[in-house]
Amino acid sequence: MNKRKIHLKDSQKNALFCVAAVVIACVFLFPLYWIVINSFKLDSEIFANIPTLWPKSFTLKAYQDQLGNLSVTLKNSIIIALGSMVLSLCLSVPAAYGLARYRVKGMKLFVLVFLITQMLPSSLVLTPLFLIFSKLNLLNSYLAPILSTATISIPFIVLMLRPGFLTMPKELEDAAKIDGCSTLGVFFRIVVPICKPTVITSACFSFVFAWNDLAYSMTFNTNEAMRPMTSAIYTFMNQYGTKWNSIMAYGVLLILPSVIIFLTMQKHIVAGMTSGSVKG
Amino acid sequence: MLSNKRENKERMLGYCFILPAVIYMLVFIGYPIVYNWLISLQDVTASTLGSTGRDFIGVSNYKAIFGDPTFRKALIHTLVYTIGCLVIQFSLGFLFAMFFVKKFTFAKPIRGLIVISWMLPVTVTALVFKFMFAEGNGIINTILLNLHLIKEPVGWLLKGNTAMLGLIIANSWVGIPFNMLLLTTGLNNIPDDVYEAASIDGANGIQKFFKITVPLLKSTIMSVLVLGFVLTFKVFDLVYVMTGGGPVDATEVLSTYSYKLSFQLFHFGEGAAVANVLFICLFLVALVYLKTISKDEMM
Repeated sequence: MNKRKIHLKDSQKNALFCVAAVVIACVFLFPLYWIVINSFKLDSEIFANIPTLWPKSFTLKAYQDQLGNLSVTLKNSIIIALGSMVLSLCLSVPAAYGLARYRVKGMKLFVLVFLITQMLPSSLVLTPLFLIFSKLNLLNSYLAPILSTATISIPFIVLMLRPGFLTMPKELEDAAKIDGCSTLGVFFRIVVPICKPTVITSACFSFVFAWNDLAYSMTFNTNEAMRPMTSAIYTFMNQYGTKWNSIMAYGVLLILPSVIIFLTMQKHIVAGMTSGSVKG
Repeated sequence: MLSNKRENKERMLGYCFILPAVIYMLVFIGYPIVYNWLISLQDVTASTLGSTGRDFIGVSNYKAIFGDPTFRKALIHTLVYTIGCLVIQFSLGFLFAMFFVKKFTFAKPIRGLIVISWMLPVTVTALVFKFMFAEGNGIINTILLNLHLIKEPVGWLLKGNTAMLGLIIANSWVGIPFNMLLLTTGLNNIPDDVYEAASIDGANGIQKFFKITVPLLKSTIMSVLVLGFVLTFKVFDLVYVMTGGGPVDATEVLSTYSYKLSFQLFHFGEGAAVANVLFICLFLVALVYLKTISKDEMM
């Protein structure tokens, strides 16, 4: 009898906590809901005095209004994010591996370089990078935002991957070397495949970082044809400040990659977030 | 001799892996930082932008910004904003961490789910909060009116103090899950039997929190706060999109002011000088941070 009572109490406690957690999640994630739900409203409903929690009639009109200029900005966003992703991966994955596997002079210093550069704000280098890129004729090109956004991901990925490489057993690599595999071969055929999940997570992070960037692309690419979606949505807001359904429709498209990536690999993302932003 | 050669070869290979990324960061972050100091000592405007021989004007740019009331305001706003955000996101992040560390069915999935706000583009976060804080039919005014907490709609982003509050709330939305995650890692490292022993000795929840949790989490708390300070102090996108530094300059922060000086007024020298003040503030705090983690587990 006694035992059963305690058991009941535990399950009640569990239920209570679950309800509380759901309430917290609903309140906390409300802004996300608000973005999505308002993108399906008609102008008349957006301008109504009392906002509706659920659209009276679902419409894709806000999306259709956006489609006109979307093709250019979407293409730009994809090119910038993919370019930045490839560049960051090519540089940071080997660096993380090198810092974990080889005993080189100045290793502490190298880790420090990544730790410090990761904390520096983009606004610090905006002015000098603008002057440098303008001298090199790189303004209003894909290269300017690609080169600059890669500086956000590289230190993050290095710090995120290094602990994993440190704990990876060295025997596998040694065995492959004895079988005549070159160092590069070991890296590409053994190391990268073993660490596939975290390397994919790194790819996701660098894609999202570049996709989310506003400061660099807005500053370097002022030409409308070269703008990514983030700076286009900002310009759109300044022009049509109250057309919130269109702005939110744009917002939905902008958050889509992050949301999809997040929902499919939540566990890896959450783990990477803590190790990537804290320590080496 | 032979092993020495092999060691050298190994070392060279290590450098081949590491150096490209290090050099990249030095070229695209290190060099611009040095260059920024140079610009801040020069007379760089739209007309002298392209020329090679720009005049060195010493510390005139710094004199100009320190004599500029907007700059002083921006410095104070940045501090108010940072401290406001830290208080909210740390205390709520801590509460969330304590709550979700409990063992119940939804604990892990929901804790994971709310982290999503950290991954979203700040541009969109700023826009949706701007929308929610709107004066006419913004959802926040509607809710507060219905709860009878306010008598008439508030123009949140149209007045200085409330606009700052709006920014702090929007940023905390991104910061809370981040604080929560880092603190959760720390909480998980505290062994259960410490709490059990305290319970046997008759300690209550509050005592356990202040006598066990806080002291054992000290280093985590320290690094969360310092990291939070650095990440918040450098705010740009959120302020730029949500208020644009306004109304007038009531929410102008160092980064947006630097941006305005450089790219709207084309006073690149003064913009660089403001950015350098931001850099020095961050650098001092970062030094504290690096000291804390080097004590912990850096290598």
